[in-house]
Amino acid sequence: MTDPFIRLDRVSKAFGGVTVVDDLDLTIGRGEFVSLLGPSGSGKTTILMMLAGFESPTAGTVSLDGARIDRLPPHRRNMGVVFQSYALFPHRTVAENVAFPLRMRGMARPEVAGRVARALDMVQLGAFADRKPAQLSGGQQQRVALARALVFEPAVVLMDEPLGALDKQLREQMQLDIRDIHRRLGLTIVFVTHDQGEALTMSDRVAVFNKGRIEQIATPREIYDHPRTRFVAEFLGETNLIDGVVDRAGAGTATIRVADGTAIEAATHHALASGEAVTVSLRPERLRLSPSAEAPNALPAAVADSVYHGDHIRVRIDAPTGSLIARTPRGAPEWDRGARTFATFAPGDCWVLPR
Amino acid sequence: MLRPVRLVFGLLATLFLLAPLVAILPLGFTASLFLEYPIPALSLRWMTELFTAEIWRRSIVNSLIVGAGTTLLATVLGTLAALGLRDRLLPLSGIVRIFCLLPMVVPAVVMGVGMQVLFVRLGLANSYLGVIVAHTVVAVPFVLVNVSAALAGIDRRVERAAASLGAAPATVLRTVTLPLALPGILSGAVFAFATSLDEVVLTLFVAGPNQRTLARQMFSTIRENISPAIAAAAFLFIAGTVLVAGAALLVRGRLSARG
Amino acid sequence: MSGLRQRLVALALVLPLLLFLGVFFAWPLVTMSAEAIPQSVVARGLPRTAAAAAAWDRTTPPTEAMREALVADLRAAPDDQALAGVVQTLNSAKSGYRTLIARTVAALRGGEGPADLAAIDRRWADPAFWRPIAAETANTRPDANLLAALDLRRDEDGTIRSLPEGASANRRILVRTFVIAGLVTLACLLIGLPYAMLMASLEGWRRQVLLAAVLLPLWTSLLVRTAAWFILLQDNGPVNGLLRAVGIGALPLIFNRTGVVVAMTHVLLPFMVLPIYSVLLGIPRNLMQAAGSMGAHPIRAFVEVLLPLSARGIVAGALLVFMAAIGYYITPALIGGPQDQMISSIIAFYALQTANWGMASALGLVLLAITIVLYAVYHRLSVDEPGRA
Repeated sequence: MTDPFIRLDRVSKAFGGVTVVDDLDLTIGRGEFVSLLGPSGSGKTTILMMLAGFESPTAGTVSLDGARIDRLPPHRRNMGVVFQSYALFPHRTVAENVAFPLRMRGMARPEVAGRVARALDMVQLGAFADRKPAQLSGGQQQRVALARALVFEPAVVLMDEPLGALDKQLREQMQLDIRDIHRRLGLTIVFVTHDQGEALTMSDRVAVFNKGRIEQIATPREIYDHPRTRFVAEFLGETNLIDGVVDRAGAGTATIRVADGTAIEAATHHALASGEAVTVSLRPERLRLSPSAEAPNALPAAVADSVYHGDHIRVRIDAPTGSLIARTPRGAPEWDRGARTFATFAPGDCWVLPR
Repeated sequence: MLRPVRLVFGLLATLFLLAPLVAILPLGFTASLFLEYPIPALSLRWMTELFTAEIWRRSIVNSLIVGAGTTLLATVLGTLAALGLRDRLLPLSGIVRIFCLLPMVVPAVVMGVGMQVLFVRLGLANSYLGVIVAHTVVAVPFVLVNVSAALAGIDRRVERAAASLGAAPATVLRTVTLPLALPGILSGAVFAFATSLDEVVLTLFVAGPNQRTLARQMFSTIRENISPAIAAAAFLFIAGTVLVAGAALLVRGRLSARG
Repeated sequence: MSGLRQRLVALALVLPLLLFLGVFFAWPLVTMSAEAIPQSVVARGLPRTAAAAAAWDRTTPPTEAMREALVADLRAAPDDQALAGVVQTLNSAKSGYRTLIARTVAALRGGEGPADLAAIDRRWADPAFWRPIAAETANTRPDANLLAALDLRRDEDGTIRSLPEGASANRRILVRTFVIAGLVTLACLLIGLPYAMLMASLEGWRRQVLLAAVLLPLWTSLLVRTAAWFILLQDNGPVNGLLRAVGIGALPLIFNRTGVVVAMTHVLLPFMVLPIYSVLLGIPRNLMQAAGSMGAHPIRAFVEVLLPLSARGIVAGALLVFMAAIGYYITPALIGGPQDQMISSIIAFYALQTANWGMASALGLVLLAITIVLYAVYHRLSVDEPGRA
């Protein structure tokens, strides 16, 4: 992160007594792509609406480039917003939609025309300038919305689940396009989504929201590999959670004793005390099934279920620590129900979470 | 099993609903002195009568004056109120809305008695303004309902998008909200005009002989000396409504095509 | 984006209509209500005297209080014009008031404190000149018109009694209004319910045709439709022509109850069909199929499943039709005979023909009250959470 460009300082928002955003701090650097990720009702969209100026904080301040903006009306904030389901003006053509922010800024006609043409070319919609939004496909409408939010070169672009209505293939294409535009124009982008894959692939940093607070904000890799809380571990991807107690805490590793007496060696960044109750998070793709118990961690297990998923096989096993899920690569031997095996993993494959 | 019963019932009910409308129109072009079938010969004599007889001509002009005034007043008042009631920002918004819709419910004769007494005191009796005001009272709920429905159909995000792109609230209203609500405003205006055109009871109470409208003239003609001029006027009525509605549709279509 | 500012803007937008309807809709209704409460010209002109005379036995000489009240009333009168009505009314009971009042007012002018009325004019010492004042002001009680609207009156001792049979027809007309409105509602229900069900069960152009058949009359002028029924139902009209052709023979269809009910049913039918139709549309089609699959005969399935679910629409439609019907004026006035006039016609008669504002207003108040109650019930039903029958 470079300088703090956008800054939310102890921001709270309540709607009729219900707190939606709870005493939240968030700093975003210039040129950064930050995703706000969380389940619906977690406050991420409210944060976006406060940035855009459609909601004002009940408490706290919002500033942009050092100046407070929380009292500024939306039309004077100079932020491009891409709305959920695009919010294109249905009564105006594509070109008129894109020209709108320029006309609001009193730009001369010839210049408007030139800028609109360039913006539409950027999103490959030059040929559709005179169409009405209703005559475009969902993906095309999405690109018009993008062009409209970018054409006036705003300092910040806010996106509220912009790809939610697109089918999978189109969505992945648009993810790449948006990332490309972000790099090319050096924009600051705040991107709201409930799709964890989207957040992980697109962002410089991901902020995971839960109940009006940020559970963790970090790079995608950090968030996925080293979740700070159980909520983050569960919300991003699939994971096995095993409850236990710290038996011995060392430098960077710890021994966790599970209820049945099994000991697990696990990596950790947390300073743990002996006897502390913790949860071990173990991603299914890190779990290996092997005939022998030659690994730092090896749990004897019986195969309960094995389901073919095309690119991988999902195996459910019963271990002394409880039921676990493992993803084994395709091509690995098929498992019969009841087959005996060992679930093995290195200390670095799992992660200790405080409870 | 129930097929034939359903078919017969459907036909009879449709006949019941549509027969009166079908029956009255041709009689406007009868050559006879009476409203009777079969029509002996076709003639434009009654149509001509409408536009040449002073009493009919006058009432048509009056209806146009009052209708235009009512449409203008009701559309402006109703549209403004619909905008104001849109977000339920005001305390008692719900009750205010119910109050504004009440003229649709209160029997016209009841309003008429009150207006007759009050308008004399206010100096509005026997004046065009008085008739326009009375018609507006019953026409404005239709505008409110239509415009409110149109506003409810606008995606809030579209207006927010305009604001985020730099449009001040008044500009958002002018460039986005009103154009998108225009179909509703136009239907409201058509309803207001049709209501005024058809209004008899309040006219009986507040209008003087100089403000005799077409509907009022038809009412007393049916009552006193029925003639095929009634059917001709009915034709005019239906044609007028269709024409105004058609014009509104055309404007709507043109607007949505132009954008 | 301050909330207060937005609220002020909203208020500024609503206020014009609110003021307009306040002045031209609510005020007339208030005016009418005030008109329903009778007040004699004398009581209005001489309010203190009226109050003081209420306790007087009308034979003994006028009391001190009455004389003081009269002096105060006459001094308070803004001008002679205000007393003109009083003089006129009293003169019709006993001549001589014109000079008497004029002289008294002239004598009192400019003076203050108690004045000797008998000294100004000897006639004030005579109870005969006070009796008309007492009579004119005592006769009228505030609820007299309202009671009369229901064919009731108050006796000397204050008890409320019915008017003798045949003295007034208001109550009969009120009952008749309910009967006609009830008949029309019933007719609308009998045609409207199967019609709405048929419409909901059909698809494509057949449904569109049925829908158009409901909407077209709704969009057509009430007056045009009434005129059309006038033509159809007249003695030599098409309907009678048809009846004659099939051998039934001509029937009296116009200027009687049949004609009124037929025409009003036609006019109000859309208000029954549309609410039921919209409720039926919301009921999943496969419910009837499910009932059938469980062994219910179609009629049984209708009674057990469809009818309870569509009850909301039926009640809403019936209330709407009934509410509109009790206020009807034009259709009964043009299609009905003298025995088919409803309460609105009587109100219009009092107001337009006999200038009896008091009775017109009192009957209007009764009609208004009934309508508001029905509307409240209707509103309650229509805002109730949907899905509950």
